[in-house]
Amino acid sequence: MTSNRRLHFSIAALGLVLASSVLAVDQITLPNKPDSLKFGVIGDTGTGDQHEYAVGKQLAEFRNQFKYEFVVMMGDNTYGGESAKDFQNRFELPYKPLLDAGVKFYAALGNHDTPAQRNYKLFNMGGKQYYTFRPKLGVRFFALDSNYMNPEQLTWLENELKQSGSDWKIAFFHHPLYSSGGRHGSDMALRDQLEPLFLKYSVDVVLSGHDHFYERIKPQKGIQYWVVGGSAKLRSGDIGSTGLTAKGFDTGYSFMAVEIAGDEWHFQTISDQGKTVDSGVIKRRAAPATVK
Amino acid sequence: MRLGIISAIVVGIGLVGPAQIVAQVPAAFDAEKKQIADFEARVKAYDDLRNKVDGGAAHQTQTRHPEKLAAQRDTLRANIQKARADAKPGDIFAPDIQPLFKRLLKPALKGSDGAENKNTLKEEKPLVELKVNAPYPEKEPLATMPPDILKQLPIVPKNIEYRMVRKHLVLYDARASMIVDFIYNAIP
Repeated sequence: MTSNRRLHFSIAALGLVLASSVLAVDQITLPNKPDSLKFGVIGDTGTGDQHEYAVGKQLAEFRNQFKYEFVVMMGDNTYGGESAKDFQNRFELPYKPLLDAGVKFYAALGNHDTPAQRNYKLFNMGGKQYYTFRPKLGVRFFALDSNYMNPEQLTWLENELKQSGSDWKIAFFHHPLYSSGGRHGSDMALRDQLEPLFLKYSVDVVLSGHDHFYERIKPQKGIQYWVVGGSAKLRSGDIGSTGLTAKGFDTGYSFMAVEIAGDEWHFQTISDQGKTVDSGVIKRRAAPATVK
Repeated sequence: MRLGIISAIVVGIGLVGPAQIVAQVPAAFDAEKKQIADFEARVKAYDDLRNKVDGGAAHQTQTRHPEKLAAQRDTLRANIQKARADAKPGDIFAPDIQPLFKRLLKPALKGSDGAENKNTLKEEKPLVELKVNAPYPEKEPLATMPPDILKQLPIVPKNIEYRMVRKHLVLYDARASMIVDFIYNAIP
């Protein structure tokens, strides 16, 4: 190869690399600002099968361009057992690249999980079935145990919400208060208990799983709800016509990436095939002038 | 719990004349209170026993190694089993309090709200052989407990939970993952 032809080839190769980089960056619809809070959302993950690995792979690839710091888990973290091998096959291996990169996982308990998981350090539950954490000033998460919503937990939640001075209040737990799932659907009993507290203390966003699909719910009384329960299990065609759905995806596995920048919550939902199935932005709901 | 007491009062009013109400309502109330206090004392005795044996290797701490989680749980369970080797059904859910529990559960299962609670309970149908001191099977899901039901029942110490296994009410040790006691057919 002459030097001229080599140069021409190198420029062409560089062009290809740049083109593929541009294409990959274009796949991200999130603003990807340097000082924003970035995290992932997965739910109903603990199968250890190829679908969990496929979503895990997409999570890792997405992070190459969108450096999220942590992932919240909507429960059902290990299906059918909690031996050392189960934790390894259903959590540590599918998300190994992320764990190796120092990404933290914060888990909520699902109905297939036992309370013993609270002591598993990689779930960052601090030994508690329900807990709260603040990854950034102004943003607080409330992880609840919706399997056992006893008066003690409700009192704890009310106190925590009352004391929180954070602008963004985000609750996450397994059973959805709003869902169009044919198999499960909205948990009305839980809604009766939690929704009044969420409204009273201006919770902005509620994330859940349990129904095995992705659904963005139309805002309910000013609160934005999501079902992210299809990160390893799928109930194909299970989203019914409830009038609740803003966007649904029940034909593939998925996870959601989120970026909180000021008063904006940007989201992008990616399938196990790497396709964007939903994206957009919501504004933080304004805190009421007086809290009764 | 409140609903249970109120329903007892309403039943009392329905059965007796006005002159008798003053005397009978406190009596029914006191009897229920005494039964609950007795139950709470039995649960506390269990909790004390567990705390007593929960030392050394059994003490549960956070760990990055899941095999240690299982080992901690199994050691704690073995210690409890040894300490209450002669435990039998009804030691905590004593026979005389079982009708009260069934009564306390009833209001949360009535009407449309009750139907939702029943549906929640029916979502999981764990296959569990009910046996005192037996481990809860690892592969079986724990039924979700509707908040309405938990509100009705006497408060139990942390890490001791009420769980339904189909129609049966189980007192479950969440740290040892063990069946402490149970009531057969607690709900219709």
